[in-house]
Amino acid sequence: MRKSILAGAGLLALVALSAPAAAQTGTPWLHVRVEEVKDATKVAVNLPLSVVEAVLKASPGMIEKHGRIHIGHDHGLKLADLRRVWKELAAVGDAELVSVESEDENVKVMRKGDLVQVFVDQKAKPGKDGKKGKGAEQVRVEVPTSLIDALLSGEGDEANIEAAIGELRKRRGDIVRIHDDESQVRVWIDEQNTQTPAGK
Amino acid sequence: MLKLAIILGVPIALLATVASLGVVVVDVREGGPDASRIVIPVPLVFAQAALAIAPAVAPIDKLRVPAEALEHMGLAREVLEALAAAPDGELVRVEERDEQVVVAKEGRFLKVRVTGKRENVSVNVPLQLALQALPGEDGRIRTAALAGALGGVRFTDLVEVHDGNDHVRVWVW
Repeated sequence: MRKSILAGAGLLALVALSAPAAAQTGTPWLHVRVEEVKDATKVAVNLPLSVVEAVLKASPGMIEKHGRIHIGHDHGLKLADLRRVWKELAAVGDAELVSVESEDENVKVMRKGDLVQVFVDQKAKPGKDGKKGKGAEQVRVEVPTSLIDALLSGEGDEANIEAAIGELRKRRGDIVRIHDDESQVRVWIDEQNTQTPAGK
Repeated sequence: MLKLAIILGVPIALLATVASLGVVVVDVREGGPDASRIVIPVPLVFAQAALAIAPAVAPIDKLRVPAEALEHMGLAREVLEALAAAPDGELVRVEERDEQVVVAKEGRFLKVRVTGKRENVSVNVPLQLALQALPGEDGRIRTAALAGALGGVRFTDLVEVHDGNDHVRVWVW
């Protein structure tokens, strides 16, 4: 009888230990959550980074065999120029790189430790008859400097996606957060295979 | 007595053999006042044989994927292979007022669930079968490989649709 109770308790302990671990896969997952207030729509996408990598690698025309994106010469800023600018900025260290303050919005781009932070605060347009205005938007983007280093580790006008994915594998936490009147977007990486209430 | 045993035994043995090799069952139930039910069991060996001889019977262009779709097959293959190797998890969840869509990877399957006010759809896509359904580099669907993969999806509910009083279920036994 005692043996049975011990065996039962052991099994229960195993179940209790394995239950929280069920969601922890040990591999990095990229999560995207979009909530739209107006339509009461919630979209959650959870992808193992291996799948993201497969998509990026196999996208025809966009990425070469070696996992590099060609930015091309048609755009305003060549990747080679961006690489040079980034190298210069790396030498400066922590700094407020861009600060724009206007009636409509405030934009700040900062390098802080191992992160490049982009903050955009769009102000609400004043409502009629003293009502609360609409159009306010808050964007928070945090990009690890190592990710930009990796992305720019290609040569010429090539971005090194494979190296960037390698860096994303190490990253945990928020990457992008956007809040506006009608929607919320969050992009983050963790090791959960689902979006737990705590992660919302 | 021996005759009776042979008369009964041979068809039973044949049926048992066919059943043991697998059967795809299509079960359609219509509700309402004119309710009816159609059950179509198709032995897996027949389906596999049909797929195996398809290249010899069907025109070549019928078994070839259009060129515009073919250029995306590499991506589809990479994604399916990555998904098959990836850990289980909920990949997509869309919640709207009247409808919920969930796509999850569970073991060897990609499970799609659509839950609506009136309609419920459940589709289980065996990843291996989906991979085999992709054409080769020449754009031709490899029916023999597909036939082989069908054997690996036994005891699986492939599709289940509830639409009001109507119910359709396709499973492999």
